[in-house]
Amino acid sequence: MFKNQDEIREIETIIGPSVQVEGDFIAAGDMVIEGTVSGKITTEKNLRIGPGAKIFASISAANASIAGEVQGNIKVKENLEIAETARIFGDVKTGTISIAQGATLNGRCQAGDDKKSKFEKIDHHSKPTEKEAPITEELEEVVDEQLN
Amino acid sequence: MYLYLYDSFLNQKKYNNQLARIETRLTDLGINGKISRLSPLRNIQELLADELRNGVKTVVVVGNDKTLNEVINIAAKFDVIFGLIPVGGENHIASSLGIPIGEEACNIISGRIIKKLDLGKINNTYFLSDIKIAGDQVTIECEDHYKIMPQASQSEISICNFKPALAGSFNQNGYFNPQDGLLEIFIQPIVSGMSKFFKKPIMAQSIIPIRKIAIDSKQSVSVITDGQKVLKTPVKIEIVPKKLKLIVGKSREF
Repeated sequence: MFKNQDEIREIETIIGPSVQVEGDFIAAGDMVIEGTVSGKITTEKNLRIGPGAKIFASISAANASIAGEVQGNIKVKENLEIAETARIFGDVKTGTISIAQGATLNGRCQAGDDKKSKFEKIDHHSKPTEKEAPITEELEEVVDEQLN
Repeated sequence: MYLYLYDSFLNQKKYNNQLARIETRLTDLGINGKISRLSPLRNIQELLADELRNGVKTVVVVGNDKTLNEVINIAAKFDVIFGLIPVGGENHIASSLGIPIGEEACNIISGRIIKKLDLGKINNTYFLSDIKIAGDQVTIECEDHYKIMPQASQSEISICNFKPALAGSFNQNGYFNPQDGLLEIFIQPIVSGMSKFFKKPIMAQSIIPIRKIAIDSKQSVSVITDGQKVLKTPVKIEIVPKKLKLIVGKSREF
């Protein structure tokens, strides 16, 4: 995502550093933000927030790469990359996350699927129940008698 | 059947030779037709309506961007194919359409690559290429959802259907296509002096694809359509998709 010239061809909306946007900023294609946005940012595709950008908005995107300042909650469907220059003040919910050393993240962070796996369910059922506890005590007594 | 509309500036003597060559070439190609000369006293709308009633299928504008802009505002009301033979200076639209200047444009007309192009509409005026806003403190309200406010002390704001001259490599990325049903807001801070050479030009630019916008400002500022007509803010701008049937060249920019 956003790593070479070929991928820049997919960019559709660019907000330069000299531009301020207010309101529900919705785009169907990729977005690159280098300026200031307040309100709400929504895209069905990729979002890149540059190191000089200031975002006072909740964010929703398929993939996101953040290098600037964000004050607001972030919801990313697939992958979220947080660069070392990023400063995030808000809750993050994403599929996968990578955080570079030096990045600031103040808020709750939920990455990955929130449903428990099958193994966790099996372990939970195999734990001894209250009814099973006296049987184990009886067994211990029998063993003690035999040893004596 | 072809109708050729000559702009009034072509009455100047210096264009006589060029026009004669164009007319010869059109005859050679078998696409000659009736010639009408435009003048401030002549009503283009009535002229076009009469000629279309007489069976004209293709109207070819002979002149520059200004001529095309004038005719387009009336042409949009008729279902007819338009062509352009650029003559004289100020022919940026022709170069975007891939039409060479002078008699070589006759081959393009003969080739008849017809494309349905989007037209921009500002208040009740159509434009083909772009709108330039000569002012800084403007607010651009997009799709009734969000507002864009340029912050630089001096910015050049354009609302483009075709690629503007300052866009650089942006046209490679699918922007400025007059067939995509979108206009592009193109904002570029004006840099002067040595900073022109050191700043990264592309990253300073903003580009936002859009269908409908409203432009307002504290003080009334000028809005120039296709480099010709001047309007004042507030204005409403929208795209009218596939409104104009135009003959274009192979080397067009879209």
